[in-house]
Amino acid sequence: MKSVICLECEAEINLDAGVEKNEIIVCPDCGVDLEIVSLDPLAVELAPMEEEDWGE
Amino acid sequence: MIDIPETLLGLLHQYSPSGSEAAAVKWLVQRMADLQFEQSFMDEAGNAVGIKGTGPHQIILLGHIDTVKGEIPVRLEGDNLYGRGSVDAKGSLSAFVDAVASVSIHPDWQIVVIGAVDEEGDSKGARYICNRYQPEIAIIGEPSQWNRVTLGYKGSQQAVLTSRQPITHSSQGGNANDVLLGVWQGLLERVKAFNQGKTMFEQIIPTVLNMVSESNGFEMEGRLEVGTRLPISISPQVWLEEWLGELKGVEVNHQFSGIPAYQADKNSVLTRAFLGAIRQAGGKPGFVNKSGTSDINLVAPVWQCPAVAFGPGDSNLDHTPNEHISIADYGKAVLVLVSVLKNLGISS
Repeated sequence: MKSVICLECEAEINLDAGVEKNEIIVCPDCGVDLEIVSLDPLAVELAPMEEEDWGE
Repeated sequence: MIDIPETLLGLLHQYSPSGSEAAAVKWLVQRMADLQFEQSFMDEAGNAVGIKGTGPHQIILLGHIDTVKGEIPVRLEGDNLYGRGSVDAKGSLSAFVDAVASVSIHPDWQIVVIGAVDEEGDSKGARYICNRYQPEIAIIGEPSQWNRVTLGYKGSQQAVLTSRQPITHSSQGGNANDVLLGVWQGLLERVKAFNQGKTMFEQIIPTVLNMVSESNGFEMEGRLEVGTRLPISISPQVWLEEWLGELKGVEVNHQFSGIPAYQADKNSVLTRAFLGAIRQAGGKPGFVNKSGTSDINLVAPVWQCPAVAFGPGDSNLDHTPNEHISIADYGKAVLVLVSVLKNLGISS
């Protein structure tokens, strides 16, 4: 099973076999959103935060 | 020497406030024909429509061609192109056209680009197309900045609160205006309690649009026209029935149906395609939720498909006399859109 290390709390996160590039996963330990930025080699980055903005 | 994108420049020269879009639509229809769209036409609502591909799967890129009033002379200052609609939202619509013009469509797909009329009004153009298309993916053209994707827009509901009271001497107080203001203040207190600890996108944001009163010598009538920006958790119906409907001593009326808030799934195939595309263009992607409403609030609930809003430009410049767009950012937005279509398997 593939796994990645959480960038926030260093927990090991097991990934589903069908994980996709740019998919957002949630660390089960600390709850942070991580984005799969590469499948080979497997790599994650912190997922984009949701900002707020004026807009009609 | 900066190379100004021809579609954007041409569209900015066609000043097109809501209700006066015909010349801009005619220009864009011709522009899409010149760019080898297989079909380009003005539909019955007056929208500009361009189509590439004949496949059974459809993606719609829905921008709007109207702007608010206030013509701004089109001019270039450094990298910034000034003009009414440069940000809201001819920049986005032009980027859609330029991106689609530059790709080859997979045989399974059809791309429809629409420049809708009246988005700044009552969204006549978007309401017309809602039930005439059934896309599998939709991108709405509104400024998010080239490296961000707009996931959410708040809902909206307008209403009129009316109070009628017998005329009393002003020394006694308690006239129709006093009643209205007291009721409104009570509502604001309830809203304040609801909003506690919530983000802007989760909050109820009410505002008074107009207040008038009149008297016939026997009775005074006060009317408060109010507009409210609503979160996902409060539908227009709930706002009318469980909030305004609870107000004592006032009559509540509304001329138009409200618009529910919308928020896209940040883990859909479409948002993934955008995240990859923004990174491919050298950007750090972001998500944004907005305090206003747009055509996505209308079409996304009907189409029930992945839908986000995207476009170059800073929405803080929307509707301002200083409206301008960075040519460099426009170019990056076109690159992102080209990559999105490729990441989705729609183009090669």
